[in-house]
Amino acid sequence: MGTAINELCKKRPNASELLHSKLGVLELKTPLTVASGTFDLENLEFFDPACLGAFVCKTITRLPKKGNPPPRLYETEAGLLNSIGLQNPGLDAFIAEKLPVYREQLRMPLIVSVSGSSIAEFAEMIEKLEACAGISGYEINISCPNVENEGIAFGVSSEIVYQLVHRLSALTQRELCIKLSPNVSDIAEIARAAEAGKASSIALINSIYGMAIDYRTGKSRIKKGVAGYTGIGIKPVALALTHKAAEAVKIPILAMGGIYTWQDALEFIWAGASAIALGTANFINPLAAPELIMGLGEFLLERQLSISEIRGKVVI
Amino acid sequence: MNNPQYRQRAIQLREELSDDYFLLWIWDEALGAAGKAGQFYDVRALASLKDAQNAGKIPKLFKPISIYDNQGGRIGFMIKKVGEGTAALSKLRAGDLLELIGPAGNGFPIFQGKRILLVSGGIGYPPLWYLQKELINHNQVYWMHGGARQGDVFPCDEIWTEDGSIGRHGRVCGGMRENIAKYDVNLIYSCGPMPMLASAAEISQELGIEHYVSLESYMACGIGVCHGCAVPIGSKDDWDYHRVCKEGPVFKAEEVRWELL
Repeated sequence: MGTAINELCKKRPNASELLHSKLGVLELKTPLTVASGTFDLENLEFFDPACLGAFVCKTITRLPKKGNPPPRLYETEAGLLNSIGLQNPGLDAFIAEKLPVYREQLRMPLIVSVSGSSIAEFAEMIEKLEACAGISGYEINISCPNVENEGIAFGVSSEIVYQLVHRLSALTQRELCIKLSPNVSDIAEIARAAEAGKASSIALINSIYGMAIDYRTGKSRIKKGVAGYTGIGIKPVALALTHKAAEAVKIPILAMGGIYTWQDALEFIWAGASAIALGTANFINPLAAPELIMGLGEFLLERQLSISEIRGKVVI
Repeated sequence: MNNPQYRQRAIQLREELSDDYFLLWIWDEALGAAGKAGQFYDVRALASLKDAQNAGKIPKLFKPISIYDNQGGRIGFMIKKVGEGTAALSKLRAGDLLELIGPAGNGFPIFQGKRILLVSGGIGYPPLWYLQKELINHNQVYWMHGGARQGDVFPCDEIWTEDGSIGRHGRVCGGMRENIAKYDVNLIYSCGPMPMLASAAEISQELGIEHYVSLESYMACGIGVCHGCAVPIGSKDDWDYHRVCKEGPVFKAEEVRWELL
C-alpha cells in the first residue's frame, strides 16, 4: 500500500491522467490533500507521499499563539471534538525554522495556511510569505471556530470576505484558497464574495461547532466548552455545503469534512469538489491516503472516467 | 528510526494479570531496538478498524499505551480495560493483529549511582516496570505502588490500597516522605493519575528532590501533529503548551504547571 499510486500506474498507464486535477492555478498529480492541522511530515513516514497532490500545513498566525487550555480533545460517537486554538510558533519562526524543512522534504506543492485578526494583518503575512521561495499557495483560514475575534469573525460576513480576498488577491499570483466556515447562514453568498474578490479556489468545510458533556457530573469534556467538531459525523453537512457552493461559483472547490474513504471522496466529487482533503481520517487510519487513492483510481479506471468528467454531476 | 513508525504485528502471547489488567506481547527487533523506557505506542486492534469498515460502523482512534517491557525484540504492553478502545484490545488473543504507531515520546532520562524512589498509581505501573529494569544495576531503587483495591496492585517494594484490602491503607503519596527520609532519596520517578502526580510533585518540590513524571493525556494523532494532548510546561511566569506525545510524556515535575491542569 506504501506505493499505491506507482502500483496503480504500473497496472494501467493512464491512471495518472485520470487522477490529475486542477485547483485554481495549481496542477495536482492527485486530487487528494490534507486538512490543515491534521497532518505533518511525521505522517509521511507511513506511506508514499506520491499519493498526495498537495500539502497544507498547520495554520500560522503573525504572532506565536499558545493555544487553548486542556482538555482539548474528545472523541464522540461519530467524530472528534477539538479545541486546539491555533497553537503555532508564529510567522517569523515558521519562515525561519519550519519552511526550510518543508522545502527540503516535500516533493509536492506546499500550501501555507494563515489566519489573522484584521485585513491588514492578513496582508502583512502574505507580503512576508511572498518573499519566500518554495510556497505554491495560501489557504486563508477565516473559519477556525476555536479562536475569538479572528478566523471565524471574518468568515461569516460576505462583505468582509470580499474586502479581505480583494486585498490579498492583489498581492499574489500563487494559489489563493479561501477556507470557509460551515457556521454561516448562506454559504453561497460567502462563496460568491470570495470569487468576486478573485480567490482562485475555496476550501470547505472547516469544523462545525460541537460540544460534549459528562452526563454524570455535568462537566464539559472540553475546557473551553464549545469546540470544533470534525470527522465522520459532519460528512452530510460538508456534502450539502459543497453542493451549494459548487452551484454558486465557478472557482474550484477543495472539499473536506468527514472524508475517510475513496467512496466518500467520490461523493464529494459528484457534489462539485475538484480536490478533497483528509482530516480526522489521518488520526483514525494512518494509511487512509494511499487506500483512498488506490480505491478512487481503480473506480475511475474501471469506468474510464476522469475527475473532471464527474465533478458536480450529482444526480438529483 | 527518528519518527514513529506504523506497523501491524501479530500478538505472540497474551497473559491475564487481574480482573481488568492483561499483557500483550509482540515481536519486532527493529522496534525493540528503537524503544526506550517511558516511551509509548499508539495501539489499536486491527480488527476494530476492519470490522468498523466492513460493517459501516465508525472506526475509533488509537490509544496511547506505554512500553511495559522491551528486551531483545520482545515488546510488552500492560493494559487496563477502561473504555471502548481498551475493551477491543482485551478481546485479542495470540495470533491476532495489533496496529502500532511508535515508539513515540521522549522516554525517561537514565542515571547511575542514585538513591531512587519510584511512585506509581493504578495503570501508571507499566512504564516504571521497564524503567526499573534499566535502573536496577546501577542505582538503589525503592518502588511504591498504590491502587484503589487489591486488583490494582502489582509486584513492587511497598503496596498501598485505598480500600485497605492489601498492603498499607491509603494513598501511595502518603508514604513518600517516610521513604524519602528512610532511603535518603535523591531522585524520584512517578506515573499515575494526575491528582496523584500533582501531590507527588508538591512533596518533591518542597524537599528539593529531582523528580520526573510521566503524564497521560487524551490523544488524537499520538505523533506530534495535532497538538491535542498539550499540557502547560515551564516556569510560573513563562510557560507554553508542550505535547505529551512529542516533548513528553516525561517532564520534570517542577516544570509542569499543575495549577493550570
